Amino acid sequence: MWNNWNEVDRMFGAMNVLRNHFNNLNSDFERPLGVNFGWRNMDRTPLTNMVDNGDHLQIVAEVPGMSKDDLNIKIQGNYLEIGGKREVKAPEGYRVHRSERGATSFTRSFTLPSEINVEKVEASLESGMLTLTLPKAEAARAKQITIN
Amino acid sequence: MNEQNQVATREQTTPVQTAKRMRVVAPLVDIYENEDELLLQADVPGVAKEDVNVRVDNGTLTVSATRRVNGDGNAQWLEFGEAEYRRSFSVPQTIAVDKVRAELKDGVLTLHLPKSESAKPKQIEIKAV
Repeated sequence: MWNNWNEVDRMFGAMNVLRNHFNNLNSDFERPLGVNFGWRNMDRTPLTNMVDNGDHLQIVAEVPGMSKDDLNIKIQGNYLEIGGKREVKAPEGYRVHRSERGATSFTRSFTLPSEINVEKVEASLESGMLTLTLPKAEAARAKQITIN
Repeated sequence: MNEQNQVATREQTTPVQTAKRMRVVAPLVDIYENEDELLLQADVPGVAKEDVNVRVDNGTLTVSATRRVNGDGNAQWLEFGEAEYRRSFSVPQTIAVDKVRAELKDGVLTLHLPKSESAKPKQIEIKAV
């Protein structure tokens, strides 16, 4: 019977591979907001990231295929609205085999965690990523407190 | 007993994936065709030109691109992260592999896959006798 030990050994190996596989699956499921694995973002609202850098907030949004004329950004106080549209037309004289990207239009609004100095907001668009830099209003900034 | 030890050592040496894997995302694509070429467009926001990799190998076209995210600061919410866009397609053998052209603009990757001469439709002229 022990001659077959290799077989058993191999089976354990296979089970480990399987277990790793499931672990990986799990790690994808458990990621916050990361459930859209593979086919994702079919509702076509752009995904965004936001970080707080102390004196300013930064929002980055995925807006592939949109030029700056297609985007529309509005801010009022701590309310931010990003809107955009994209037209995808089949090029002249081509047959369509597959069309997943599609024309889209969206608006997404955010309540920012602090008041923004609207005058100093900067927006840039690079390789399909919209970056908004939103300096916090003076009153909302972190203040250094000196201990007496 | 010896055999049990064997199991134990085997368990320890099983490769464990330590490195955090980059998430693999299938980009959305449009595929068009005319007489001269296949045209593929894929949404790959945030990818730099040098991080795109296009390979045609034995009838399979593989597009892969890595998107890096540099974010410092205190994250309030993160909906996307570093990712590898990857997708494979079957393409006819008649693609002229050496003439494939790729462009990247506004986060959209455009691939021109020209058909080789022999695969293009030919107009046959009727000769007057």
